[in-house]
Parts: sequence; C-alpha cells; structure tokens
Amino acid sequence: MLIASAILGYVLQGTQESVTGLEQMRTNAVLHAASEGLINSIAQQARADKLAELRKDKNFRKRGLDEVNGICDAAMNEARAEAEKLYANPAVQDEAALQSAISAFEKALSEAQTLSVAERAVFSDIYVQLVDNTSDWKAIAGEGIADDVVIAALGKTAPELLKDANAHLQPGFVRLARDMAVKQQAREDAELQTQLLTALAVSVPDWTEYAGLTGDDLWAKLVQEVPQLENGAAFRDVLLKDAADRIAAAEKGEILSAPAEAEEGAETTGETLADYQYFIPTEDLTREESEKNTSYEELNRQLTAVIPDLSTLSGKLQNTLRDNIEKVLWLNDSSFSARYNTYRAHQTSSEQRGGWKMELASMAKALLLAGMAVLLLGLVVFFWKPLTARFGVPRTIIALFFVYLCLLSSLYNISVRMMMGNVLERMTMYGVLVLAMMPGIQCGIGLNMGMTIGCISGLLGIVLSLQFNMTGFAALAFACVSGALVSLPLGWAYSKLLNRMKGSEMTISTYVGFSFVSLMCIGWMMLPFDNPKIIWLLSGKGLRVTHSLLGSFGHLLDNFLSFSVFGIKVPTGGLLFLGLCCLAAWLFSRSRLGIAMTAAGSNPRFAEASGINVDHMRTVGTVMSTVIAAVGIVIYSQAFGYAQLYTAPRQLGFIASSAILIGGATVRKAKVSHVLIGVFLFEGVLVFGQQIANSVVAGGGLSEVMRIMISNGIILYALTQTGGGRRA
Amino acid sequence: MLDRNRVKAHLEKYIVTYLFIALSVLFIVVSGLDINYVASQLLLRLNRNAFIVLALIIPIVAGMGINFAITIGAMAAQIGLLLTINWGVTGVPGILLAAAITLPLAAFFGFLIGKLLNKMKGQETIGSLILGYFANGAYQLLFLFIFGSIIPLNSNVTIVGASGVQNTLNLTGSVGLYTAIDGIAHIPFQLALYLFCAVLALAAVIQFVRKKITRGRLIAALAVAAVIALVFCIPAVANVVNGNHGRELKLPLVTWLLILGLCLFNSTIMKTRLGQKFRAVGQNQTVANASGINVDRTRVIAIMISTVLAGWGQIVFMQSEGIGTFQTYAAHEQVGLYAGAAILVGGASIDRATNLQALVGTFLFHSLFITAQSAASALFGNSAVGEYFRAFLSYGVIAVALIMYAWHNAKQKKAGQLNLAEQRAAKN
Repeated sequence: MLIASAILGYVLQGTQESVTGLEQMRTNAVLHAASEGLINSIAQQARADKLAELRKDKNFRKRGLDEVNGICDAAMNEARAEAEKLYANPAVQDEAALQSAISAFEKALSEAQTLSVAERAVFSDIYVQLVDNTSDWKAIAGEGIADDVVIAALGKTAPELLKDANAHLQPGFVRLARDMAVKQQAREDAELQTQLLTALAVSVPDWTEYAGLTGDDLWAKLVQEVPQLENGAAFRDVLLKDAADRIAAAEKGEILSAPAEAEEGAETTGETLADYQYFIPTEDLTREESEKNTSYEELNRQLTAVIPDLSTLSGKLQNTLRDNIEKVLWLNDSSFSARYNTYRAHQTSSEQRGGWKMELASMAKALLLAGMAVLLLGLVVFFWKPLTARFGVPRTIIALFFVYLCLLSSLYNISVRMMMGNVLERMTMYGVLVLAMMPGIQCGIGLNMGMTIGCISGLLGIVLSLQFNMTGFAALAFACVSGALVSLPLGWAYSKLLNRMKGSEMTISTYVGFSFVSLMCIGWMMLPFDNPKIIWLLSGKGLRVTHSLLGSFGHLLDNFLSFSVFGIKVPTGGLLFLGLCCLAAWLFSRSRLGIAMTAAGSNPRFAEASGINVDHMRTVGTVMSTVIAAVGIVIYSQAFGYAQLYTAPRQLGFIASSAILIGGATVRKAKVSHVLIGVFLFEGVLVFGQQIANSVVAGGGLSEVMRIMISNGIILYALTQTGGGRRA
Repeated sequence: MLDRNRVKAHLEKYIVTYLFIALSVLFIVVSGLDINYVASQLLLRLNRNAFIVLALIIPIVAGMGINFAITIGAMAAQIGLLLTINWGVTGVPGILLAAAITLPLAAFFGFLIGKLLNKMKGQETIGSLILGYFANGAYQLLFLFIFGSIIPLNSNVTIVGASGVQNTLNLTGSVGLYTAIDGIAHIPFQLALYLFCAVLALAAVIQFVRKKITRGRLIAALAVAAVIALVFCIPAVANVVNGNHGRELKLPLVTWLLILGLCLFNSTIMKTRLGQKFRAVGQNQTVANASGINVDRTRVIAIMISTVLAGWGQIVFMQSEGIGTFQTYAAHEQVGLYAGAAILVGGASIDRATNLQALVGTFLFHSLFITAQSAASALFGNSAVGEYFRAFLSYGVIAVALIMYAWHNAKQKKAGQLNLAEQRAAKN
C-alpha cells in the first residue's frame, strides 16, 4: 500500500496542477520571507525603543532584569501584532511581473551557484590534496621563496593546479602556502617551548637551590644546569616564569608536575575541509554573480511595489532579507519534495499549502523507501528461520541494518557512490588485520585479542623504515618483512603461553595484549631511535606519537593502479593485496597443514586421537595470526597515511574480532568469506552510519556510540554462544 | 618448625604481593618524595578506593572472577549523582538521594549482567570487561542524546546549544556534594590507629572468652595490636603522621565507618545461608547444583550485590577530597581496571578474596601509583615513562594473576589425571 501511494505521489508530481501549485507557493514563500523580515525588524525596533525609553527613566536600575525584559517583550509583541495586520497578507497587483522576476532571479541564482559549486569543488580538491600530502610547508613557502617557485613546488603535489584552467587559483594557494608556513613555524615554536619546559621540569632536582635568583642570574644558572635552554632564548620570559613558579612551589614543599608533551596529529583525525578564504573566482563566475545581482535588484523592485515599506529597511537588514530569499530559491536538491517542503515552511494559511495531493506528491520518495523497508522487514521476518540458519542471527540483522542505512542515505540525499568509495578504502585498511583473526580461530585459540603483539611488531617495522629514511615500495616491503620477522619469536612465545592456558585463552590474550601495549609505550620512549624526524625534538629521545607516512609509503598501495568508476575511487593495489592475502590463506586452509590445524581447532580430542599434535597446530595458528597482524598494521598505516604508536593499537583486536564475527564466523569456525563479508558489512555500517548520524543529529558522537555498541555487542553475543554451562 | 612446602605454597600464592611490597619500597626511596606527602596521598586514595575494591569480593567468592562490570555500577551511581545535581540537593541529603537512586538502578543492571554472565560461564572475566565497554556506549547514548532532550534537565548541567550533559560537572561550591561524607568528621590518624588497636585487642579477648578462637590466635592478635601501637609511639614513625613535621594526617571518620561496615558485611554474609551458597557455587557448580542450590540465581544475586556496592563506592569516590569535579564521560572508565588490579595485588586470585587482601592491595597498588611518576623521572629522566609504567602495572598484574590461575588449574587437572591413571594402574 505504501508503494502504491508512492507511485500515486510520483504521478501527481508530474501533473500540471502541481507545477502551477508549486509556482504559486514559491511566490507566496518569497513574499512571506520579505514580509516576515519587515515584521521582525519592526518588532525588534519596537523592543529597542522601549528599552531606550526605560533607560531614560530614573527608576531603571531599581527594576529587575526580568521585569525589564517583560515590559520590552510586551511592547515587541504588540508591535508585531500590528505589523502583521499591515503586512502579513500583502495584496499583489501585478502577479505576472512578480512571477517573472522571481523566475529570472531563480535562474540567475541557480546558474551562478552551479558554477560556483563547480569551481569551489575544483578548489576544494586541490586544497585537500595539498593539505593532506604536504608535511613541510616551510620548505615550500618559507621566507624568501618567490611566488613562481612556490607554485611549481605546489604543482608537484597537486598537478591540477598547474593547468591553465586553474591558473586563476594560483595566487590564492600561494597565500595559503605562506600562511601554512607561518602556522608551522608557530607550531614548532610552541613544541620547542613545551619541550624546553619539560626539560626544565625534569632536569632540575632541587628548586630550592635557586631561591632568591631572578632575571639574568637565574637564567645563567639554569642554562648551566640545562644546556638545551641555550636554543630557547626566544622563550626566556616564559621559561623564567615557569622556573619562578617552581621555585615558589618548592619553597612550600610542593613539586609541580612536568607539562605533558604536546601530542601532534590532531589534524589526522578529521577530514580536511577546504578554507574558502583562499578561493579566487573566475571571470565567468564574477560575471554570473553580477547578473545575479542585477536580477535581484529587479526582484527587489517588484517586492517593494507590493510592500512599499520594504525600502525603509537598513542595509544590514536588506542583506538578511536577500539571504532569506536565496535560501528559499536555491536548494541543493531541486526535487519536488525538497522544494515543496521549503516553500511549505513559508506559507501562512493552510489553503496555500496545496491540499492533500501536493502533500502526497511531496512524500512520494519517503513513502517509496518506507514501503521498501517494510517489505524487506516482512521478507526477513517471514524467512527468519532459513535466513538465520544460513547466515546466523547477527549477520542477518547487521545486513538488514546496512540495507536500511543505504535507504536512509538515499532519503537524506547522501551520495551512495562516494560512501561506497569510502567503504572500499576502509576495507583495504582493515582487511588484512581482520584476516589475522582467522588462523587464531581455526587453530582453536578463539578470538586472538593478543594480535596487538603482531601489530606492535609491524609498527616497529614501520618505525625502522622511517629511521633509515626509506621510501616507496622498498619501505613498504621492509616494514612488512621486518615486522613479520619481529613478530615470529614473539608469536611463538605467546603461543607457548596460550598452550598452557587452554580454555581461558581469550581472557588471557586480552590482558597479555593490553600489558604488551603498555610495556611497549615504555619501549617507544626508551628505544634508541635517533632520526630527528621521528623522535621528540628537544629531549632527543622517545618516538613521537603520530608519524606521517606521506614522505615514505602513505597511500602507496591504494594509489597503485588506482582508477575511478562511476565516481568511485577504487584503491586497486590495496584490494589486490587483500585479495592475494585471502587467496594465500584460502590455499593454506586447503593444504595438509591447514586441514590438520582446522581439525585440531574444531575437535582437539579427535585430532589428538588421529595423530595430530594439537599443541603444535595451535602454535602454527597463533604464529600465523601474529605475523598476519604485523603485515596488517603496515597495510593499515599506509591506507591511513599515518602510523600511530603508544596506546593506539590497544583496541585493534576488538575491532578485528567484531568484524570477523559480523561476517559470520564464530569463536570456533572461520572462513575467508567471513573475513571479506565481515569487513565489508562492518565498515559499511560505520561509514554510512556516520554520515546519516551526522545529518540526523548535529555534532558527532552518535556514530561513535553506534560503533562501540555494535562492536562490543557482537563479541558479547559470540561469547554467549560458546560459554553457556561449560563449567557446570 | 617451618614447613618448606607450606612456605613454598605461601610464596606462590603471594608472589605478586611481595613483588609489589619490594617495588613500593624501592619506588618510595628512589622517587625522593617526602614520606609525609606519600603517606597523606596514600591515605587519601585509600579513603576513595577501598569501598569499590571491597565490592569485588562477593563475585570472586561465587566463582565469577573479577567483575569488571562494576563499571556499570559506577555508571548507575553517576546517573544518580547527575539527577542529584540537577535537582540541586546538597550535602548529606544529596549523597543519600544519589545512593537511593543508585540502589534500584544498579540492582536492575546487576540483574541483567548476571543473566548475561550465566550464558558465558567460564568466560566471566572477559565477558564482564566487554560488557563494561558495551555499557559505556549505552551510557554515552543516554548522556549525550537522551538526557537534555527526551529527559529534560536544568540548563546548569546540559551543554548550551546542544543536547547532552556537560563534560565536567562541578561538585564544589553551591552544588555542595564535595566531601559531603568525608567532611562530616575527622579524627587524627594516630588516634584512629590506637583506637583500632584497642578494638582489635578487645575483640580478640572477647572472642577468646567466648571460646571462638584458640589461645595462639589470641596471642597473635594481641601481639599485632601491641606492635602497631608501639611502632607508632616511636617518634620517627609518629612524625610521619602527626603533623610535627609536615601536615597532620586525618581520617575521615564516616567514610571509614562505611568501609569497615562493608568489611563487616562481607564477612557476615559469608556466614549466612546465602554466603554458604556463594561459596558452594564458587567451589563447584555441579556439586552445588546437585545439593539443591539454584546456581544461576545465586550467581545473579552475587553480581547484583556487587554492582550496587560498586555504585555506592563510586559515590564515595566522587565526593572524596581532591576530586571536586565529575568527569561525566570518563569517571567510570578505569574503575574496573584499577579496582581489579588492586585486589589482585593484595594476593586475591580469580577464585578467592578477603577483606584484608582488598585493603592491603589497595594500599600497595596506590603506593606505587603515587610514586611511579617521580620514580620514573628519577630513574629514566622522563616522567612520561612513569605514566606508562602505571598502566603497564595495572594491566600486567591482571594478566599475571590470570595466567597464574589458569596455570595452577591446568597443573591441578594434570595432577588429577595422573592420580586417576595411577589408580587405574593400581587396579589393574
């Protein structure tokens, strides 16, 4: 029935009655926007006048704030009611002229906006490309570098910029590069300052020795104690103030803690958004804009003819009025329902709303989607038994949820194609990590939460490749191989531990993983890396938290043979690599060793009886899982563009587990198909969910909540499927 | 004479505890912190954390491992506190109101947790951990999107211009919940210690007269009381706490009455029928089931009690001295981790725990917590290492305890199998 009414709605959209109705509504909406602006301004003016009048009164200060507000609001409402009587239903004399003025403005506006959107899209692409792939702005646009040199350097990162069609954008980007260089300098200064403060805090054992010293004397003695300070003459005042605070605290017997080292990488979390203050329009666009302005003047004349008092509005209010009218006439989405809903908000009486036919026509799309949703739900409920038997409860529910998200994204006009591109990208990012779960499950240790051990080995490989300044595929291969080599002995020792702990592997692997992450936090601080690019600059030891891989192998695999289909960017190299890994894993599970391992995992007693060394098989599976995790994190980092150390890998085990479980695996059984389906569904739900959550509720958070609940809920579900009554 | 096997068994059982004692002493010496400062911080942290750590005991005895889902109890308490702040109830009535709201909420949550954990027997530790994470998602949903929009709140706790509760809520000033329990009455630490010794001695004598304990235990108890009292008569020791040198240590009386009350509750309940059931279920579910105990129901009750107590413990924590703000989205996150690590440090294991172990564990764990940063900067010239070392200690302790427990079980199983095989061989 929903679908039938949807079809009726679509038919109604096409009728002449609807088209003229919509035009009528548009005129009303514009008029309403104009009169509303006037009424508001009159009401505000009345309020302000009343307030000024009250202020003149001697007793003004005696009145409470509430009372003053009350009086002013009353005056405002009175004025509003009066103004509404006058202007709310303006009488239109020359309707045709007004209509044509509106149409002309709408057309000019739409042309200008379309061009502007297109140009801004080009600008935004170049902007994002530049900002995402440039780490050292000072080298490109530091002081004393000529403009054309800057442009040539920028062109290396974003070749689009050098095209003739985009030449008009170049001065804007030069300005951007210079601003970024200044910002970078400021950031480096701030970092240096923090590091100097830290050095000060940790290198002076007893501040009371400095009591009584100030100014130059104090500075001289501090430099003697902490030689690094010599580089920091620029921060002398800040440092001296800090020292004075510490001395004062020490005299009271307190010790101030050291400042936390600034964590960089804040910019890595969100998507880069273009800053349009650097945007320069083309001549075409400038001309379109001026045409738009002329047609607005005409419209404004027509409107003033209807409501003469409009001319009394001040310049600022005129601008607001224009903004409001533009909002009515220019819509991102020019579908029937979007226009209807926008105009509808501006209608004053119900007759103007066009009756049930218009209403139904506007809801056609929503009805169609709702119909499909209900139909799907009905199908799933009807075939619940065979579906869940075939795919398992969680996979069915999550898949249904995913389809619903797709329908919703269509309702909110979110580009499904762009989303799909994101999903593909994230599949290459997480695919290998999720694959690492498979051998663990197959060999019988269950969900290998301790795969973080492998991840950390992989990170070590990445950091080593950075330490030796390697780039390109050599760096990627080196990181993978060295990571895998490190993870071999670790995985072996870890498997020996797990072999003694049969039955509680998951608990233990979780906490062993957590402890190892924290232990390596100390490790990252203490290991003797000395490439200045990767360590904290001033203290001269300890790796930084976030390492940009843009100079070495960031996005390397994803960009390899990459191409676009239907506007979806396909990360070919990443997908190929994932495919190869999956193929290798599949071939392995078909081999003698693989079959023996799966047998040992699914039924240890039977396997033992048929002559398989179960412990040995578990070792093989665990080591494989660890090694794949090491490679997986390298792939993850290249797709992400950054390598994150310290506590960042802690939750990876949970993410990978939930993905493979969503794919249909259990803690006893897993296949390659589970990995691929799981990573697609999990990332799909996350990507779509995030976009939709953002358009439903302003401000993030909801999608994060969803991720937490889905990811942990699925693990809980898997646990309830196995643990029940085992101990009893 | 000391039995070598007994010494060995004792060492095996308490190896983590002894390691922590050694580390604590080392850290206090290395960090170079003033001993008076360490003692005052330690006392502060004991006041705050002891209650929550004690809440872990009952599920351990009932064989459900470390109940990391006490974070959910903490969340219930935070809902209670939020509503209390919202309604503007201050002081002791405010705390009582928050506790009253916590009771049904935490009991209900505990019921659900118990039901779920019954479906994953043998995996309770990891199950409760992940349940805690899951509940964190639900908590954020509630505090970010439901409070302030669907459930209306006053503007002083919500984010201006958006739905959801503010990131930090102030407990001081006109909110009036800061030190609402701690601040009722203080007594000097030294006096409290003497009182404690006196009560201990008196209780021992009474128990002896009522023939509940042997002469040997009486002498031991009296000796402990006397030694503690005498040690704190030594000026050098007394100076650490009595304020002649540095600040005087004071005990928040009501908080400690609550803590001691909970200890008493824990030990009393073990003597009731319910407590017997807990123990029976914890030792062997099959046997307990055979002897007519409803195993699942007993386990649910254990978790419910633990969750409610953890909720109240979180209220004690939040009001305590030196906190003052309510970190809406972070205050509950580490509750399970720190409490679990603390009780394991005290020598508890996955299946046995006592009040004394909980208190000693809290004491040791936090003594390392206080000194780790300064010790690390003294040893490595880097205070961040200390921060990471703390995290490593917390996770590492739990990992080691879990490993030792699993290892012990595997050994026993093997020994059992060997015995069985020997018996069979003897029969043949």
